Amino acid sequence: MELAEPFEMTQPAVSRHLKVLESAGLIVRRVEGTKRPCRLAPDGIAVIDQWLAMLREALATNYDRLDEVLAAMQPEERKDMP
Amino acid sequence: MSKMTLKTEGDRHVVVTRRFAAPPEAVYRAHTEPKLIQKWLLGPDGWTMPVCVNEARPGGKIRYEWTDDKGGGFHLTGEYLELVPFSRIVHLERMHLPDPTPDNHVETRFEPDGTGTLMTMRMTLPDAETRAAMLGTGMEHGMEASYVRLETMI
Repeated sequence: MELAEPFEMTQPAVSRHLKVLESAGLIVRRVEGTKRPCRLAPDGIAVIDQWLAMLREALATNYDRLDEVLAAMQPEERKDMP
Repeated sequence: MSKMTLKTEGDRHVVVTRRFAAPPEAVYRAHTEPKLIQKWLLGPDGWTMPVCVNEARPGGKIRYEWTDDKGGGFHLTGEYLELVPFSRIVHLERMHLPDPTPDNHVETRFEPDGTGTLMTMRMTLPDAETRAAMLGTGMEHGMEASYVRLETMI
């Protein structure tokens, strides 16, 4: 409720945004009676960077290998042409 | 030369672009023909894909199994949703680590770029739990092979 006050947005809409942030690991929420206090998750952003770096390295390695596969395919294709 | 870009799009997606010297038909075939896939979709040196099922038609199944030949390995399953030959592929996939990760929805486009191809792949950004599981797997395999093949989640 308090978090929604400064925004021109309904409280349910703010709740949906918070749910996305929570599922992304960027905030942590707990239950205190009817309140759901939030705090930033200190490691959340660093972990995303780490994950993206791993993805980038894995893709780059595969695509460099794919370059070689494609280079080997092309002579065969030219042979098939009239 | 930086041929690849990778960026997040909103809260839920990752967009990767990569240019290839070959025409779209060749790049598309390399993504859908098992004999070609097995040559490059491998991750670190030393890993192989002994099982590669790829039924490139709507509703067709995907199953990739990787091994490091030292007892390490895991697999991915998926289904095709849409295919437009040589230009667009939409599919779902999940890694089994061994529990299945949430479905990753992937759209891959192949566009002519001069004499080559511009590939654009848009995939789901996995949730925090899945990222942690994948990083854990990466570190575990990383001891032996420098890092895990992440392509699999794509």
